[in-house]
Formats: sequence, structure tokens, C-alpha cells
Amino acid sequence: MERSWWWKAALYGAAIVLAVLYLVPTVVTDDKELPAFFQKYFKKRIQLGLDLQGGLHLVYEVNIEKAVASKVDRLANDVDDAVKKKVTDFNLVRSGRDDITITFKVPGDVAKLDDEVLKPFRRDLDVVSRDAATGIVKLRYDADRVAEVEELALRQAIETIRGRVDAFGVAEPTIIKKGTDIVVELPGAKSKDFERIKNIIGRTAQLEFKIVDDGSDYMKKVAASVPKGGAITVSPEAWTEKHTGAQHEDIYLRVKEKDREELNKFIAGLSGELSVPNDREIALELMSPREGGEGTPDRYYRTYLLKKRAGVTGEYLSNADESWDEMGRPEVSFTMNRQGASMMEKLTGENVGRKMAVVLDEKITSAPVIESKIGERGRITMGGYGDPFKLQQEVKDLVGVLRSGALPAPLKKSFETQVGATMGQDAIDKAKTSMGIGAIAVILFMLIYYRVAGFIANLAMTLNMLFMIAILAAFEASLTLPGIAGLVLTIGMAVDSNIVIYERIREELRHGKSPRTAVDAGFQRAFWTVFDAHVTNFVAGIVLYSYGSGPIRGFAVTLLVGIITNLLTSVWISRWMFEILVSRRGATRTTLSI
Amino acid sequence: MAEQQKFFEVIKSDTNIDFIGRQKYWIGLSIVLVLLTILMLPLNAYVFADRGHMLNWGVDFRGGTELVVEFSRPVEAAQVHQALADAGLHNAEVVRYGSGGPGTTSSYMVRMGAVSVMSPDQAKKVEASLATVAGANLRKFESSEGGDKVYLRFDKNIEPSAIANAFKAAGTEAAQVQPFGPPQDNTYEITLVGMDGEVRKALDAKLGAGAVKAIPQVSSVGAKAGKQLQVDGVRALLGAILLIVVYVAFRFDFRYGPGTIVALLHDAVITVGAFAVTYKEFSLTTLAALLTIIGFSMNDTIVVFDRIREDAAKYRDRKFDRVVNHAINETLSRTILTSATVFFVTLAMNIFGTGVIRDFAFAMNVGVIVGTYSSIFIASPILIWLNDKYVAMQKRQAARPERNVRRPVRRGDEEEAAGT
Repeated sequence: MERSWWWKAALYGAAIVLAVLYLVPTVVTDDKELPAFFQKYFKKRIQLGLDLQGGLHLVYEVNIEKAVASKVDRLANDVDDAVKKKVTDFNLVRSGRDDITITFKVPGDVAKLDDEVLKPFRRDLDVVSRDAATGIVKLRYDADRVAEVEELALRQAIETIRGRVDAFGVAEPTIIKKGTDIVVELPGAKSKDFERIKNIIGRTAQLEFKIVDDGSDYMKKVAASVPKGGAITVSPEAWTEKHTGAQHEDIYLRVKEKDREELNKFIAGLSGELSVPNDREIALELMSPREGGEGTPDRYYRTYLLKKRAGVTGEYLSNADESWDEMGRPEVSFTMNRQGASMMEKLTGENVGRKMAVVLDEKITSAPVIESKIGERGRITMGGYGDPFKLQQEVKDLVGVLRSGALPAPLKKSFETQVGATMGQDAIDKAKTSMGIGAIAVILFMLIYYRVAGFIANLAMTLNMLFMIAILAAFEASLTLPGIAGLVLTIGMAVDSNIVIYERIREELRHGKSPRTAVDAGFQRAFWTVFDAHVTNFVAGIVLYSYGSGPIRGFAVTLLVGIITNLLTSVWISRWMFEILVSRRGATRTTLSI
Repeated sequence: MAEQQKFFEVIKSDTNIDFIGRQKYWIGLSIVLVLLTILMLPLNAYVFADRGHMLNWGVDFRGGTELVVEFSRPVEAAQVHQALADAGLHNAEVVRYGSGGPGTTSSYMVRMGAVSVMSPDQAKKVEASLATVAGANLRKFESSEGGDKVYLRFDKNIEPSAIANAFKAAGTEAAQVQPFGPPQDNTYEITLVGMDGEVRKALDAKLGAGAVKAIPQVSSVGAKAGKQLQVDGVRALLGAILLIVVYVAFRFDFRYGPGTIVALLHDAVITVGAFAVTYKEFSLTTLAALLTIIGFSMNDTIVVFDRIREDAAKYRDRKFDRVVNHAINETLSRTILTSATVFFVTLAMNIFGTGVIRDFAFAMNVGVIVGTYSSIFIASPILIWLNDKYVAMQKRQAARPERNVRRPVRRGDEEEAAGT
């Protein structure tokens, strides 16, 4: 034997040992049964794809328009603040997705909206027109920034979804961007959780803190207009500021839970003198009376008059956690980041003694009295849940959603696949059968047709499978139904390469060459043919991978891996095995049974 | 020389069939098949009443909802169809689906064009019936196709139950109606019952409670996403062909390129034709199969071309078309064997597989046959034709004598000279 033969033997042997090591965790499915050695170095195993173990496959579109519009909304607020410092009498209107129009009462004030005022907005806003005669200034959101916002919204949405899915604890989720779509794959998700998961992912989760405008004359007027004897009742409330002892009085409307529409109708009907001021809004909270006693007290809705502009938003949240209030009910506690904390301090510091509404997705969850300046920590109590289990679950979901932050824009589901677990088992069984039959047929054929050489080919094919699955395990790839088809196809490809080579060797033998030269020539001549064939398949595989999603991608991955391992096994390893056959002294044509 | 060795052979090594001489007939057959495919598409779409689409687009291309329904007792497809139609779910396709899980007596694949319970037509109907509810006028009706939510805006506040009733009256079930946004907006969010829930209800109502054992698989694709997938699919297919041809032109020479393009397109078109004739579902998986077929067909063509190149260098005195015919015969054994093995492997998958695997295998079965055929009867004649043109051009350009084939200097050739 030549020296290089031994080197190859050692190399191939090492590759086989490594492959077997990588395969052990996939075969031994229970982590506890694995020795510590494997726990440390070879923990990875093949995952079953969505179609085999069941799960959810979702594709979302991000409503980019909305993301841009809300960014311009925020800018409009800032411009409003900036202009207020210079001019008092003006009107700012937001229109379309990109436009802001400012109308000055005194046309001459247009000049006051100079570059100095607009400096902070230079990057974001373009001045479309500035008419000193009519006092109208038109601003438009910069077109270049739109693309940036889109990009950012998409990235942020992905991060947000990832955070939420992680919080829910689905193993091995895949969340990727595809064009302007977001693809979410959750293999192993349980059928019973499908609805809940979809809800969590799709929730916008906009958290806002707004100050309650208590003791306003406006609410008194509204309360006075409430028809007597109807479903709506008027209640006063009063509280004392802890430190200064100052009295606060307010008046609010309430209805029983079932009569919510009555209240909504009444509020919507407010007009003229009673119409809600521009910078205020009336919001409702569902109250659950906490006092026990006889029977279950009815839940009711009550109104709050809020300052429309949110003092602080969920953007500045740094963490959220599950905690329990003094009654032992679950609630959400949160921590603000430094910027948020200073904003919160300013907001609460200026409003000690007033109430602050915690608004989640435009619904008030609670409105506690600000007893002292609040810094970085706060909490959200959840009203309106009778069932303690449901409350617990809602708190858990909210923690997950808050931790991941609000979605930058609403999501729209455009594609959905749900696969139940039983479906998967059936598919696995069928796939195993078809794969087994195909493989056995090929192995038999090779043995009969090429005898000893066929045996070598079969050995090479088995090694090919071994390497392939080991590599898939090492990458923790997921095996899908089309992926199994890819495996079977690789068997076909392996056979193909061997046949190309063997037919060539036969030809050389027919030309009267000695076994040794025939094998050399056969492998040498056939190599480039086999190589070219593999490259073209590889190209098809790459296109498939970059275009496909989900299961198709699984197919492409097995195909690509298979092409590489096949080149290794059917060209190099099987040649090496042939060398054992023909390099012995006195090797004849019968030794090389082909 | 030693004794001639005997091999187990399917194709004798001295086989010499005149493929090229009869190429006219073979090319004619291909043209007929391609034309049939092109003809079949509009026939499917407009003539055959029970088909209605050019191809039986799967839910991923067409948009819609696809459910697998398992029944706890034997049920006929017609019954399922009728039960769904009675519940207002018209135009549902009902196909027997595998054997189902253990303890299931029958299971069907149900496919509907609708993504949500509310079709565009149904949406119009609902919108009309909601025009005035409890004295309030509808200001805005927002329903996205494929969405499971509808947003309504009225000029006044109304009772959610009134909205729910109005939905019911129009034949659509609303799972939940709740106010959305600030109360002065008068906006309501309506969550529709999911497609699976609706189907289960319809079937249980008609076939007896508990008839539906499970709905283990639900897929829904918005119409827009489906269109996008179609466009992407065609793009991927053409992209793959282009890349492969560039590689071939680089590895061989430019004369070998066009034949491969035509052969690959030929394979793709005829495989699509098989799907048009059988009206089997054309899904993302089928597309994957098409790409695989292209890879395989290329594989086959390369083996033949490789030998043509080698022989062209070896037999410079022969006419090029004879060289090609000889090369095809030399590689015939290999061609038949490899195609047969792949064919039988995929046939096993076709017979014993399920769902996706089965569709994939069917496409492969067709593609392997067509792919083998095209390397011999399509790619090679085009190569000969181009070579003749090239040689004629060379002759015109230069007065110097030209070889039949420009000899590529590559590995093997030097040895060839030494060996013979």
C-alpha cells in the first residue's frame, strides 16, 4: 500500500468518527441519557420541521404607511411645541401621510417660523411653501427619510416579534425578513395555543401614560347634561393629596358593564359647547369593585377626562415583570430607562395629587393617584378579569409584550399554515416507507449490476447518508417533508455519479487496459463530468434556497449538503476503496468485479 | 491482449443507434408536446368547465384556504361538498386525502378561494346590510381580503350585539364585536370566525355532531401574496436556467450554451404540461421539483456533452454529427441506468409517499423522462446546428483550413494523445 493511502485511511476514518459523534444526540433523543461528554461538545441535533412535528407558519406584512404617518404625527407635535414658543395664535393641521400645514392668524408671523425654529427638523421636514400673504406654511416629510423609516419599522417589528415569541417560550422559532414581509415559523407550537400566539404576535401594545384632568368645569357641564333616570349615572369622587393635604374633587360618568354603548353614544353625541376640547379626550376604564361582601358586585365603566398628549410612552420602558399587589392579585411592574425615568419624574412631579391613566392600546388599564414623584419604576394593574387563571395569563402575556416593546406599525397577516401534530406523524411514517423502498431498490440494483463495485458504491452511499445527516445535525437544520425528498434524491444522485464512473471503467477495460489503469483512467475521466453535474445541481439548489421559504428551504438545504458530501463519498472515498481492490499484487479482472 | 471481460449489461457496448439521423421526428414530437402544453393552458381555463384555471394552482399560488378534515366515520366527497355549499361555502374543492390518522375513517382536503369567512361578495352583502344599524349610519367599512378582522365606523354609537346580529342576518358569523379606539370614534372591531371553525360547524350541522374528528392542517394565503409567489417562482426558474447556462458556456464553450437553454426550457414546459393535463395541484413543492428537474436534466446533458467534446478531439476526421451520434451511443448505457434509478426512486416516493412528497415525485417522474430525452434529441441537434454555422463562418472569415471543432485544451487530452 502506498503511503498516501494510509493518510487517506486516517482522514476518512476521522471523518466517520466525527459524523457518528454528531449523530448520537439525534438518535438518543433524551438529553439525560447523554454522557457528559456529549452534553458539552455534541449537543446539537436535527430538528423536525413544521410539517413533521406540527406548528405555525405565519407571514405578516408591516403596515409601513402607518409607521410613517405616526412618525410624522410625532414630528407635528414637536413642531407645534417649537412654534408655540414664538407665536401663540396659529393652527397646525396634519394631513395625508406626509403633510403638516400651519396657518398663522397674523400672516406676518410666518417670518417668525425661521430657520432657527426649524433647525431641529431640518433633516426630517422640507418647507414646501411659505406664504406671507395668507400666513400659511406647508411642511412635508422628507422623501429620503420615508425609506429609512420603512427599513427601521421592519427591523423593529422583527425584533419585537422575536421578543414576544421568546417570551411565549416556543422552541426554535424562526423569524426572518423576506422583502417587506416578516416570516414567522414556530415548529412544535401546540394547536391549542395557536390563537393565543397569533394574538400576542399581532398585538400593537402601545403603552401611554396620560394625566387625568380632574375638577374641570367642562366635566361638570357634561355631567349636568346627563339625562336623569337613564343608564348613565353621575358620581363625584374626592381624594386628599397626601403631603400637602390639598383636596381634589372630580366628577365622572358611569354605566353598568352591559350599558357601555349608552355611555359611548352619549359621549359621541356631545356637541357645541359640550364637544370635547381639542387637547382633551374622554376615555373609559372597566372597573371591578374590589370589596367583597354579598354577591358579586357589578362591574362598571367609568369616564376619565384625559390630556390628549401622552406624557410618557412605552418606548422608554427598559423592563417589565410579573408581580403581585397587596391583595395578592397578579399585576405588571415595569422599569423605565434613564430618559423615560426623567420624563416620568417631570410628568409626575408636575402633577402630584392628580391621577395618571395607564393607557394600553387605547384602553385605560388603571388610573392611580400620583402620590409622589415617580421615577423609574411603576406598575400596571389589570381590571376586568373575573377568572384568576385568565388574569394570570393576561399578565404573563402583557409582560412578554411590554418587554418586547410596541410594534412600530400594525401587522397584517398574509399567509398562514397550521399543522397539527397527528398530521406530522402520519407524514413521517409514509416518508420512511417510501424512502426505505427507494433505497433498498437502488442498493439491490447496484449489487446485481456491478457486483463488488456495486458493493463499494453502496458503502459510499451509506457513508454519504451518514455525513449528510451528521452535517444537518451539526447545523441544527430542521428536517421537513421536502427535506426527506431531498435525502432520497441524493441517493439517486450518488448512484448517478457511481454509474458514470463505473461505465467509464468498463469502457477502459474493454479497451484492454489493466484493472489498475482502468480504474485510474475511469475516475480521472469521469471526475469532471461528475463535478460539472454537481455544480449545476448546486446552482439550482442555491436559487431554490434563496427563493423558497419554509419546507422548500429545507429541501434546498438537504440538496446542497448532499451535493457536497456526495462529491466526497462517490469520488474520493470510493476511489480509495477501489485502490484497495486493485493495488494488491496479482490483481486480475476478476478481482475487480465490476 | 487478455480475454474480453463479460459485464452484466442492459445496453450492449457496441450499440449503435442512429439518433441524429432521425432527429427530425424527435424534434417534431417535442414541438407537438410543447404546443399541446401551450394549448392545454387556455383549454383548462376556458373550455373545461370543471377546471377553470390554467393550472390547478395550489393554495400558495392562488390564495385561499386549504384545510385537511378528518372524519370519525365514512363520508363521501359529495356529501362534504354539499354540506359546505348548504352553509354558504360555495365552490369548495373536496379531494380525498391520504388515509388520515389512526382511528380516522376518511379524510379530505378541502380547498376554498376564500381566505376569511367573508368573500369579497359576501363583504359587499354585509356592508349593504349594515348601512343602517339601530339608527346609526355606516361611515366606513374596512375589510382586508384575507384578514380575519373587519373595522366599522358609524356616525353614532351602537350596541355591539346589534352589529353582531346584523352580521348574522347577512350570513356571516362574528366571533367578537368590540369598540375600537376612543369612544367618540364610533369604530368597532369585528373578529370573524376562523375558516376552520366555520367549516367544522357546517359539516357537523349537516353530517351530525362529532362527524369531524379533527382539522389537523389549515393554510391560508392572501391573494396578493399568492400573486407574488407566482412572479417569484417564474423568476427563480429563469434565474436558475440562466446561471446554469452561464456555467456551461464557461466550462465548455459558447456553442454548448443555447442547446442547454432550449433543452431546459423544454423540460420545464413539458413538465408543466403534464400538470396541465392531469390537473394535479401545482404548488410551491411542484416548483421545487421543477428546479430539481432542471438540475437533473442539466446533469444528463453535461454527461453527453462531455463525451461529445472528448470524441470531437479524438475523431477529428469524422463529420461532427457522426461524432455526436457516437458519443450519445457511448453514454447511452449510463444515461439509461442513471435515469432509470432516479425514476424508480421517485416512483417509490410517488406510490408510497403522501401529500407533498407525492406531488414532488410525480413531477420528478415526468421530468426525468423528459430530461433524458431532451439531452439526446434537443440539446445535441442544436449543438450540431450551431457548430455547422460556426464552422461555415470560420471558413468564410479566414482562408486557412479550419478543424471541424475548435479543440479545447483541457485535462485528459494530453493523456489521450499519449495513450493511443
